[in-house]
Amino acid sequence: MPDNDPDFFLARSLKYLQENLRRSGPAAGASYSLIGAIVLLGGIGYALDSWWRTAPWGLLIGLLIGLIVGFYELAKTVWHR
Amino acid sequence: MLVQEAVQEHLATDAAEKFNAGKVIIEHVSNSGLDHPLLRLPHVLGIDFSVTKHVLMLWLVSIAVFVVVTWTVRRYLKQDRPLPTGFMNALEAVVEFVRDAIVQPNVGRKWVNTWTPLVLTLFVFILCANGIGLIPVFETLGLLDHWVLHTAEDSFVKHVMHGGTTATANFNVTAALATITFGAIIVAGSRAHGFIQHWKNLVPHGLAWALYIILIPIEVMGMFVRPFALTMRLAANMTGGHIAILAILSFVFLFTDIFGRAAAGIGVGVAVSVPLAVGISALEIIVVLVQAYVFALLSAVFIGMAIHAHH
Repeated sequence: MPDNDPDFFLARSLKYLQENLRRSGPAAGASYSLIGAIVLLGGIGYALDSWWRTAPWGLLIGLLIGLIVGFYELAKTVWHR
Repeated sequence: MLVQEAVQEHLATDAAEKFNAGKVIIEHVSNSGLDHPLLRLPHVLGIDFSVTKHVLMLWLVSIAVFVVVTWTVRRYLKQDRPLPTGFMNALEAVVEFVRDAIVQPNVGRKWVNTWTPLVLTLFVFILCANGIGLIPVFETLGLLDHWVLHTAEDSFVKHVMHGGTTATANFNVTAALATITFGAIIVAGSRAHGFIQHWKNLVPHGLAWALYIILIPIEVMGMFVRPFALTMRLAANMTGGHIAILAILSFVFLFTDIFGRAAAGIGVGVAVSVPLAVGISALEIIVVLVQAYVFALLSAVFIGMAIHAHH
């Protein structure tokens, strides 16, 4: 029985792991971009607020642009397939 | 009046001696300050180039990785029959894993040999830099210094005690690594499609011109967001785990302070802190592997996106 062979079992597990990783790659990229966009652009907005004393508009606009950019990246990944 | 002053003074010293968990934790995870550099270098263009703890760790990791890998591969190539044994076997498994599971599925068969070296270097370097943060090298050195060596106050051993050991927990380090990925994305796109075509590929072709006004800024921002996400994720994950362990271990000193006796702290330490810290340390081993893997994977994904830019 090849199923009971530990080497075979390990090789098969590794193959499935590899396959799953391959498919999860772009999804991981999109999810990190989504969070990254919101944090980065929100942060830039917050920084501009503290320099120009325009609170809370910089933060709000930054978060909004961050959301748009983040969801655009996400949509691109989803519709790519 | 004198009594009052004495009481005030007593209270002040008491407050100073109290265990400040936040301060201790931050000192253990952040870079050592420029007030006690490990190697004093001159200012260039107003920037202090003195070597701090994280820079030392970067050097140590790069030297260790370079020497170990080069030595192993050279010894392997000198053999009569090219049969990998021992460490070379493990190294080969890592190289194959990075090539077959990370790079090839993302950049494709044509470019796999071009981009595997970069992704492999990132993976191994980050893995070693993350991993060395889990090994209490300098803490052991500190203990030795305290009981055996007794070095002077401004000795190298005393200076090297300041700051955290995990260089990848520093945002500047991960930002530099992400900048390499950022450059690689542009180079990959330019090599696959030509420099001009790479920038044209950023936005979909054949849309109304009004859409481009919205899309081009979004795509340009997206270009910067990706390396930023890489930067934050790695540094935050590496800092977070260490903070959790230190916070749990600081219960020992906090409880000693609260109850005024060492027995309370030791009790909490034995019953809660040490078992929990051991558990989180075990989790940290996984985090170290996963974060190095995710950085390499995302670099490969982004490089692949520039190569396979079909809108």
